[in-house]
This record gives sequence, C-alpha cells and structure tokens, in this order.
Amino acid sequence: MIAFGCSITAPDVYARCAEPGLRRVAEPDSRIFANAAAGSLFRSYNLLMEMARPLQDLEALVLVHQDAEIVDSDFCGKLRAALTDPDVGVVGCVGAIDVRNIAWWEGSVTWASFTHRYREFGGGEIESVSWRNSGLAAYARTGEVDTLDGFVLALSPWAVRNLRFDEDLGSQIHGYDLDFCLQVREAGHKVMTADFKLVHHHSLKLVTDPEVWINAHMKVADKWEGRMPGIGLPNYGAAAGDWKQRARRAEAEAGASRLERMSVQMQGEARERQLQDELDLMLASTSWKLTEPLRRLNAWRNARRNGSRG
Amino acid sequence: MIAFGCAVTRPDDYDRWAGRGIALVREGDSAVYPNSSAGSIFRAYNLLLDLAGAHEDLEALVLMHQDVEIVDPDFCAKLRAALSDDEVALVGCVGALDARSMAWWEGAVTWASFTHRYYEHGGGELPAFAMHPDRVPPPAYARTGEVDSIDGFMMALSPWAVRNLRFDESLGQRLHGYDYDLCRQARAAGHKVVTADLKVVHHHSLELLADPENWIAAYVALIDKWEQQPVDAEATAPDWRARAVHAEAEAAAARTLRVSLHMQAGARERELQRELDEMRASASWRATAPLRWVAGRLRSRREAGSGG
Repeated sequence: MIAFGCSITAPDVYARCAEPGLRRVAEPDSRIFANAAAGSLFRSYNLLMEMARPLQDLEALVLVHQDAEIVDSDFCGKLRAALTDPDVGVVGCVGAIDVRNIAWWEGSVTWASFTHRYREFGGGEIESVSWRNSGLAAYARTGEVDTLDGFVLALSPWAVRNLRFDEDLGSQIHGYDLDFCLQVREAGHKVMTADFKLVHHHSLKLVTDPEVWINAHMKVADKWEGRMPGIGLPNYGAAAGDWKQRARRAEAEAGASRLERMSVQMQGEARERQLQDELDLMLASTSWKLTEPLRRLNAWRNARRNGSRG
Repeated sequence: MIAFGCAVTRPDDYDRWAGRGIALVREGDSAVYPNSSAGSIFRAYNLLLDLAGAHEDLEALVLMHQDVEIVDPDFCAKLRAALSDDEVALVGCVGALDARSMAWWEGAVTWASFTHRYYEHGGGELPAFAMHPDRVPPPAYARTGEVDSIDGFMMALSPWAVRNLRFDESLGQRLHGYDYDLCRQARAAGHKVVTADLKVVHHHSLELLADPENWIAAYVALIDKWEQQPVDAEATAPDWRARAVHAEAEAAAARTLRVSLHMQAGARERELQRELDEMRASASWRATAPLRWVAGRLRSRREAGSGG
C-alpha cells in the first residue's frame, strides 16, 4: 500500500494543488494523511512518518508539499518500479549529483520532471529539463543521485521505519531534503530519481527569508562536513582546508552575485518600461479609442453567450 | 588650472560622451588628456597622473571614464569649492560611508548625483537619488561631504593626490577596485575623500558585471591588501572557518535570489508581451490598420516638409 502525507499551512493551497494530485493517483487502499503543520517541516514530516510506520502493508510513504500536484497517472507504477531495488531508500523527481550543500541545484542536475507554475504577472510556467519526454538534454537521466528536491519525496518502508528528519537543524523548512538524503546514503541506501511528472505551484520568489536559508545552509554544512565525501567543499576557487581563502572567495562571490542581481533588476525594469510604453502608445491611439465601443459590445455578447451556456 | 584625463579604449564613446562633457566645462587654460589606454586602467591612470603632475599651476585632475559625460556647467566652480579644504584629496559625485570592500555601494551611500543612461530595450535612464532634486526630492540620507569611497567613473584628484598617490598596478587588475584602493590610500595618508554635487551622465549598459571572475579576483586582492590595516581592526584575528561557512551560504543565497529575480523579470515581460500580442491580434486593431498607415504617411510627409 502506498501512503501519502502532506503538512499543511495553507488549506486553500492544499485543496487547489496537492489534493487533486493525490486523488488522481491514490489507489483504493492508499492512505492519505493530510496534517496541519506541527512547527517546522522537519517535525511535521516526522509525525507523518510515525503515522505511516505501523502500516503493515506499507510499500512507500510519499511526502508532498501542499503546493505540489502529482499529474502522472502512472505515478504508483513508476514508484513501485523504482523501489524494486531493496537498497533504494528514497525516490524523487528532481535530483543532482556532486551536491556539496543545501543549494543542491548548484551540483550537476540529472533529472527534473516537473514544471514550475506561477500566478504572478498573469500566470505562466517554467518547464524543467525533463518535464517533457521529447528533446531531453544529453545529461538527463534517472537513477542514483546525491540528493533530491524535497517537494516530493517517496520513502521506502525501511526509510520510514529507520530514519527521521533532523529537528535539531532548527530550520523551518530549508535543508531537510539534503539532510535526509545524506542520512539515507550514510546508512548505505540509495537516493534515486524517477520519471514522475509533477506541477509545482510556486511563487517566483524562490527564497523568502535569506537569513533563515543561510542559517540552514551553515547548519547542514556543519553537521555533514567530513562525514560524507564532498559535503562542505567549496564550489570552486579554493582548497578545502584553506578557510581564509574560502572566506575571501565566497565573500567576493556573494558581492558579485548581489551586483549581478542589481543588473538583472535594472534590465527587467528597462524591458518592462519599453513594453509598457508600447502598450500605452497603442492604448492612446485614435484607432484603439475609436473602436472601443465595438470591443465593449463584443465583450457583452461573449458574456451573454457564456452566461446562457452556464 | 583644472586638467581632464581619460583612458580611451573606444574613441567613438569618448567623442560622444566624455569629450563632449569636457568641452562643456573646460576652461580656457584647461589641459585635456585623452590617452589611449595602456593595459589596465591602473596603468593608464598613472600615466595621466604623471602628465598632469608636471603642471605647476595644477588645481585638480579630473579622471573620467570614456562613457561619462559631465553635464554640469558649474562643474569647475563646484570642484574648486570642494577642494578649498586642503585636506581633501579626492572628490567624486557618488560615495558611501562604511565601505568595507570594493563593493562600496554595499556601504551607506550618501550621495549620487548622476544618471545611468542605457541603450538596451529602446533606451532610457535611471537617475540616481540626487540627480534631479527639483523633480524628485532626495532622501533624508542624501548629503555631500566626507565618505570612505567614491565611484571611480569620475574622480577629481587634488594636486597633492596627483603628486603623492599612484594606482596600485600590483593588484594585477584591468579595471576593478582602483577607486576603492585609491580612496583607501588617500585616507591612510590622512587626507579626505569627499562627494560634491557634480552632475554627470553615465552612458552604460545595464550589464553591470561583464566579468565576474575578474571582479572576484580584484575583490579578494583588495581585501588581502587592506584588511590588515587598523581600519578593520576587528577583523585582524577572524575565525576564518566560521567566516567561510557563512560567506559560502550567503553567496549561494545571493545566486538563488538572482535566479528568482531573473524568473520574475521574465514573467513580467511575458505578461506585457501577451497583452500586446492580444491587442495586435484583435479584430479592431487589425481593422483599423489602414487608418494608421494613412496617418503614418501623412505624419512623415508633414515631418519631411517641416524639416526641409
């Protein structure tokens, strides 16, 4: 039996995103645990694991974020296939190798079969590298990875019964995925990606509280450095043990990134201004103003037509 | 005598901007040195210092980037006023306090009387907070006066600075950090770095950082050079490991925020583009195309007539 769990802080988001996905893929005997969040995500997920643990016929516990929608009707079949190897501890749909810190996306991403759907600016979506099965990048492949993106994590029965999210890390939400994957690997089990398709309904704001994120980054590095190969190494530019050089380099990198951020913002504003000017020019044109009654009439007719259908 | 110097790598840019600005403000006796750039800006500026230093009547040397245009007719008078204090070594139009690295803008900026004119996306400008006080009242923190560092796109050097300071070519850089380093040198020698209300236009791309690796190397070299000095006494015995762990986290956060911003900008652009496309595809817009064509023809004929 495949169980599903979700920690909910915004019930409307769960109802709009995660719930339809769970209903889509749940099997008749599936259990769905929709819990209100209990403090941090670490603690909430531990509670979900405790609830799934006694299930005798448990095949997997799928933990999804409230804003993650599973849209793959063959989800359970694909998950069972990934878990046929008894060494597999956890499965996800996005993962990377050579991961050195909680910014796992700065490692070498091998699979990402989701699309990021946002509601800002009239809405839209940004497809990840393996969202579509056609035209895959040469590096796209499912299989063993260092870590997964935590917005969907499918845990094997072994993982449910033997591991826990580390509440000592003290973060609300960040770093739990890398830490959990490291626990799996340290115990000699595998972390795998599989071709599940998910929609992540998420704002374009990727980090809402940088200070909390930075703290999580440091805590996870402190915990795992020297304990798991690769973790805590710098991305580039300095020897692992040369802390002075690493500090210098990283402080400079942070400064450069902040400057680039300003540049991106200015470019965005300039482009927006250009399009807005074009739009304003069209809106102010005589021909657009002259034809306004026609458009109003058209909108009224459409509304009537739709109303009579409803 | 106020001299002007510029290291030129693109003669067209100099003619269009720096040269035009100098022509606006130079006085009858001003010496103007538009030199071709010899290697790094450090080296090119040192050559300009040598040339200007030979003038006995030198009051100041104004070093400016080729894409900077002085648009302030009172430039020379304002500069003389700023240099009336003998302790002042460097004057700029943008500066910040508590500048701890060559990213001086991450300190507390106190003055910025320039506008950034760009040519991408149809062109436009982004005026800094003290550029148009008549149109946009400057914020409460806006004030000219002493700062830690100024922006090097336009720096005016006192005769003392011209004769006693040099840009540090040993930093091995082509472009970055020369301004912060010279300001540190001036302050280490007991002189002042100040801002003044000098109005300039910086004709620059919106790409603020074309070569991050060089920028990072310059940043590290400058921290190495200056951090041992008493100004940063609190950092003389740092816990390097803690500092590195924090900085690496901060750098990763900054990169992620940059990606986020990029995504937001792209989404906003798509939204506006969608709106434009919908308008252009609408029946009313298409049906009135002939009217706009006729109006456009009439307008061009009218313009051609009035122009000739």
